[in-house]
Amino acid sequence: MSVEAADFVVVGSGAGGATAALVLAEAGCDVIVCEEGPEVRDEDRGLGSHDAFMRLFRDKGTQVAMGRSVIPILQGRCVGGTTVVNGAIVWRLPEDAYDRAFRAVGAAEAVPLPALLAQMDRIERDLHVAPAPDRLLGGNGTLMKRGSARLGWKAHAINRNVLDCQGSGRCLEACPTKRKQSMERTYLPRAAALGARILAGHEVRVVETSAARATAVSGRRADGSPFRIAARRGVVLAASAVQTPCILRRSGLGPRQHVGAHFRAHPGTAVAGIYDEPVRIWEGATQSYEIDEFRGQGFKMEVVGLPVELAGVRLPGMGADFQRAMNDFPHMAVWGVQVRAEAEGTVEPAGDRTRITFTPSPRDMETFRQGVRRLCELHFAAGAKRVYPGVHGGPDVLSSPDEMGQLDALPLDPRDWSFIAAHFFGTTRMGKTADDGVVGFDGAVHGVRGVWVLDAGAIPTNLGVNPQHTIMALAMHLAERIAQAS
Amino acid sequence: MGLGEGAQRRIAVVLADVFGEPLDVARAVAAFLDAYLRQVPFQAALGLRVVTWAITWLPLLFIGVPLPAHRLSHETRMRYLRRWQTSKVYFLREGFYLLKAIALMGWGAHPAVRERLGVGPMAAVQRATPAVQP
Repeated sequence: MSVEAADFVVVGSGAGGATAALVLAEAGCDVIVCEEGPEVRDEDRGLGSHDAFMRLFRDKGTQVAMGRSVIPILQGRCVGGTTVVNGAIVWRLPEDAYDRAFRAVGAAEAVPLPALLAQMDRIERDLHVAPAPDRLLGGNGTLMKRGSARLGWKAHAINRNVLDCQGSGRCLEACPTKRKQSMERTYLPRAAALGARILAGHEVRVVETSAARATAVSGRRADGSPFRIAARRGVVLAASAVQTPCILRRSGLGPRQHVGAHFRAHPGTAVAGIYDEPVRIWEGATQSYEIDEFRGQGFKMEVVGLPVELAGVRLPGMGADFQRAMNDFPHMAVWGVQVRAEAEGTVEPAGDRTRITFTPSPRDMETFRQGVRRLCELHFAAGAKRVYPGVHGGPDVLSSPDEMGQLDALPLDPRDWSFIAAHFFGTTRMGKTADDGVVGFDGAVHGVRGVWVLDAGAIPTNLGVNPQHTIMALAMHLAERIAQAS
Repeated sequence: MGLGEGAQRRIAVVLADVFGEPLDVARAVAAFLDAYLRQVPFQAALGLRVVTWAITWLPLLFIGVPLPAHRLSHETRMRYLRRWQTSKVYFLREGFYLLKAIALMGWGAHPAVRERLGVGPMAAVQRATPAVQP
């Protein structure tokens, strides 16, 4: 078995891992980044949903959470992690979200909001973050803008980490023109330029310890061969809120009652509207506009530029009916509602895969019902002539706002809904002691020295906003402290 | 795990009705399903393979007709498929949804479908333009 060594081994190359690697490399540390997935080649980009799933997503896009219903759990699995296949949405951490996530657990002193915001300033400069300009709103975003203006709802163009975006509408397939400032295009090359070694196809399975101190990681390469890398100063786990707890479990590290528990998420669903005017959903930024009028009520709405092969999934009808519905595709706008679910799930290793359990709570379902009603209202306000709520047991289609009363009776059983979940938190949450969480306020795993968690799992609860920015800011803040302390 | 030629032929007849497409398009979608099953993790492939088998062979259970789905008349097959789509049993309804969702990826990639919807061929987007360094 080959053995390498570095000051720090960073496990995972997404938002948290890439940021940690850059900060540690900037501090002069010798860094190795282990990424389970492959490098993203030019020929992997913009090939459609199927190829993206096969090449760039965990379990080829088949990962699900099991509970009362089956919910797809989408995560990137490639150099750059989910930043490669997300909608390039950047959200500065709002104070109310900070209070829920950090102040509520007593982390305000160790992780102060001003410090996170200062890190966000740097990240926004580095990643060229700016609101989507009108030319990139596309028909999908322009209609949401129109509808929200008519209803007087608080809304804005989405802040995105892109540079000279071409509006090809394929963010979720790895930007075909390489304009998205995802980690494989930004922080990872910068870290590499400072000497960091980025090893694709290296799946870390276990953190090895000696005398309660991390000494190495071991795992297997994409070809199945084993590897081991010695960590002179420590191991930074940033493999996501799904994978990091599995590594800790396999390693026997961290307080067992919390590792993999407290899984929180932002499940979402979508509503399609058909318009007289052409929408051409495939043009413009994939996600260009959003509404945060209802964030205080636990949900947020955003444009979702779905490709034709995904847009038809929940449209009702078969045969000629399906054809009629899909012939409207050029006139279809699709918007999603994302819920800050109160439900908690679990994550644990199950052989070579991961077992995730999650069921939205009754209150989450009420929030979804309200969110879908608001989306339908928004579509009609924007001028839709037909709206497809997409909930089994509810109306297949609404042709007028007068019919929206039917939505008040939408079923509240998750099995009647079509969810997809993104943004995962809490599985290695921060807590002052091992009784409260998996890691301390410095990101260090309780009960062992030299192991830190710098990914979304350390964030104690779901934020209600897209988390990439917070993950990066938190990783930057804590990695600076790790570098200083070591 | 994949779909043999016979299974592809049978499910293609079903998919032609689901999507309202000519049989040649449906055959391409069935071939896509075969390739998909060979690529995804075993558990996911097994689930989809079971659904494909069940939809092909269980009209007797759903509508009391002792024929496989591909041998039914168009009208009977549509009635049978609607039973799956609107079943009160979650796992049956979700099984049909799973097949439709995966098959849609093959359907949406078909050149004839894309041309008809005006979305252009799958590889129309310019790739690998000169790198923009941050």
